[in-house]
Amino acid sequence: MPAQKSAPPKTASPARPSDLLTKEEHLELLKHLYLARYFDVRLIKEKRRGRLTGTLYSSHNQEAILAGTLYALKSTDWISPIHRDMPAFFMKDLRGKWGQDDRIAMTVEEVCSQVWGRSGSPGRARDNWSHIGSKSGHIIHSTSMLAGTIPVAAGLAYANKLDGGDAVVVTYNGEGSTAQGVFHEAINFAAVHKLPVITIIENNQWAYGTPTHLEYPLEDFARRADGYGIPGWVADGQDVFDVYDKMVAAVEYARTGAGPSIIECKTFRAYGHGDHDDDRAARYRPTDDVNKGRERDPIAVCKRILVEKGMMTQAEAAQYAAEGKGAPQTKDEDFPPEVVEYLKRGVEYAIKSPLPDAAEGAMWVFRETN
Amino acid sequence: MSVTADAPATLKKNYLTALKEAIDEEMTQNPNMICIGEDIGILGGAFGVTEGLQAKHGASRVIDAPISEAAICGSAVGMALAGKTVMVEMQFIDFISCGFDQIVNMMATYHYRTAGEVSMPIVLRGPAGAYSGGALYHSQMNEAWFLNSPGIKVICPSTPYDAKGLMKAALRDPNPVLVYEIKNLYRMRDIEEELPEEEYIIPLGKAKIRREGTDITLVTYGQNVYHCLDAAQKLADQGVSAEVIDLRSLNPLDEETIVNSVKKTNRVLVVNEAPRTCGFAGEIVARVNELCFEHLDAPALRLTRMDTPVPWAKPLELHVLPSVDQIVETSLKIVRF
Repeated sequence: MPAQKSAPPKTASPARPSDLLTKEEHLELLKHLYLARYFDVRLIKEKRRGRLTGTLYSSHNQEAILAGTLYALKSTDWISPIHRDMPAFFMKDLRGKWGQDDRIAMTVEEVCSQVWGRSGSPGRARDNWSHIGSKSGHIIHSTSMLAGTIPVAAGLAYANKLDGGDAVVVTYNGEGSTAQGVFHEAINFAAVHKLPVITIIENNQWAYGTPTHLEYPLEDFARRADGYGIPGWVADGQDVFDVYDKMVAAVEYARTGAGPSIIECKTFRAYGHGDHDDDRAARYRPTDDVNKGRERDPIAVCKRILVEKGMMTQAEAAQYAAEGKGAPQTKDEDFPPEVVEYLKRGVEYAIKSPLPDAAEGAMWVFRETN
Repeated sequence: MSVTADAPATLKKNYLTALKEAIDEEMTQNPNMICIGEDIGILGGAFGVTEGLQAKHGASRVIDAPISEAAICGSAVGMALAGKTVMVEMQFIDFISCGFDQIVNMMATYHYRTAGEVSMPIVLRGPAGAYSGGALYHSQMNEAWFLNSPGIKVICPSTPYDAKGLMKAALRDPNPVLVYEIKNLYRMRDIEEELPEEEYIIPLGKAKIRREGTDITLVTYGQNVYHCLDAAQKLADQGVSAEVIDLRSLNPLDEETIVNSVKKTNRVLVVNEAPRTCGFAGEIVARVNELCFEHLDAPALRLTRMDTPVPWAKPLELHVLPSVDQIVETSLKIVRF
């Protein structure tokens, strides 16, 4: 649990972990939401200008899940983001460390170099999009086989525990991947050994072109946890503070040795599966569902709570209006200048980063031995 | 010290004991090593390869896993990411298909994907091979799946001496190594041998000439080594001198030993018990054509299992697998070409 900076008022009911956050931390969470949103908006625009190749998997409308969960972690904890979690790579360890690049897992320059497929990427552009990671920064490198990092997380947690470490390992997964057999195998193994593995389910209602009622038969997916004898929390994926509260509980549970857990974050996918799918998604998903799924923009929800808590005035909340808009309608002026500047740095670095040497394609199949 | 240290030093040891000694010695020397598999701890393994290991090294380092090959292989990746050396036992090598994605997509590519940042010191091992009535799912030689997946080394020892020396090399390799242990050889009395008292390692990628000859080269591995040796004896009775190469390591492959032999004999037959199409025997034939075609006096041929599963009933099983008589017959065909 994060250090408490100001004493909360004593009340009959236990305080929510997010209520223990300072005003600065509340505002920082909003900034992280802006940062994740701006990354998405900027990349969509770059792609439409023809300055970017590859597929974009938008995290629009799902930013509170990343911001809220990452805010509850220590730098020694591990994460494994999936395709829709690109901002997680530069948001890990960012709490209280804005501008301290040497103290975060991965810089925005590295992440942008990966998006642009340049040699400045941590993986030297050997695999695409979110398939990067960092052993030193404690980010597991995922593959396209979704749910496939959960057993890796379990093994990592097992080894850490054996060595006496207290690291928690967090895997991010769409609800679609939960039907994979490896999901069951890995969570069962983690449960048997009470491993500190937290499985985040980003339940955005659509697995590519398949809706949830054809993926699993439960009202709340989190109930699946009962079968493993582990806790399953449901979080409002649009509310960064609710996500943070559930994550703090899960982290505490894991770190004290009680074992793994599942957090289902209910949200809605704003666009297509990837940008190649945007046009078809507009047809295969009912417009009313899309409008309803997007009506609670996580930035707007966060601002409303900040105003209710007296940490922001209505006028301050209205200063930057990034919420409730699609990427083309969003302008740089809708974001705090420092957020725009942060991303600009990454994009400029990536564009200048050279392509990897062709010969590298045949390197590193095996580690050389003598 | 090995778990069988109470045995007299002069006693001949079988293939299974050799493997057990290698794993135990490495567990003793490398405190960062973990073993995981189904029934490897309390039971000591379905065949007994890990017998005594859990009592000696503890249940946290010798893990009895649930029947979950994907989780076993995937967790080995996570353990390696945390700096561990991992030995994974597949109860039968046939079951490895249940962990396939984690092996070929996650484990085998990890070093490549990270431009060398991460290594995967993982040994996957398990009993393999037919000729023992194991039927479809306890007889496979599925090495071709993994030889066609860049990033995995593959070995197949045929003697107790090699089993120990190669297993120790595998457990010290920073890459994934898949070990095809021939279960028919585990307790075969005829091949028992004395093992050196002192530690020894056999580097991966070195073939062994089991019998020298001048008229034809038989390239093989696993239990087919013994079929080829029997065939070579029968060929000798007919005046044909066959050289038998035991590859021992399929990737890395010792091309030099094959080429040098073919330059001498000018004829080659590759024998293995895996299915024919896209099998490793076909790969050896292709390499011979690429590397020493001008030295061939006859087409390089292969003798493999038919393109069938391995059936259960004895006549069915033997019908689809290469036999000593077939090796003799095909060798004579090549020699008389």
